[in-house]
Amino acid sequence: MKTELTITTDPIDEPALAKRRAMGDGMGAVVCFLGVVRGSEGDKTITAIEYEAFEPMARHQFGLLFDALGQRLPVESVRLVHRIGVVPVNEPSLWVEVIAPHRAEAFDACQFLIDGMKQKVPIWKKPLPV
Amino acid sequence: MRINVTFWSYFRDHAGCSETVVELETGATLAKLHEIVCEQFPKLAGARNSALKAVGMEYESDDFVLSDGDDVSFFPPVQGG
Repeated sequence: MKTELTITTDPIDEPALAKRRAMGDGMGAVVCFLGVVRGSEGDKTITAIEYEAFEPMARHQFGLLFDALGQRLPVESVRLVHRIGVVPVNEPSLWVEVIAPHRAEAFDACQFLIDGMKQKVPIWKKPLPV
Repeated sequence: MRINVTFWSYFRDHAGCSETVVELETGATLAKLHEIVCEQFPKLAGARNSALKAVGMEYESDDFVLSDGDDVSFFPPVQGG
């Protein structure tokens, strides 16, 4: 399984990511997920979320997740981008792409990665009020 | 032995610093370190049960036996995405 992980303070450039997509002839499903910063956190209005990562451990834990995914589902490739630093409302903080032979595996894989990330990958958020 | 401790996210605010060094007796466990850290930084004691602990880049349990020079991180539940 091919994997590509990016942790960056730069905005997530979806068109550029889509342009670089590469998939084999046997692949029939591409699932892309965008996690976007909402304008409220609980009952408070916010302007942005500031994300902080313990980056070496985050990379390591993402690697473990990718390994576990590769053993669990027939996925050809995973690309994951997590933006850190200040991410304004309505902008994506997370982009995940899974390429697999069929949609069921692709959806499952995307869910598996995001669920795992929310349990294991040391990234935290701090809502920034108006 | 000396253990290098790092605090992340709001644990850093609770501790009032991002790093510290803790002296422990040889053979001490991660639980013992956590106990001492909560004594030194009382604001962290309130989040004791929800704290996550890593040695290097791996999560470890309370019974993990530490070694001199280990890098230990304490942090709240993760919130990526």
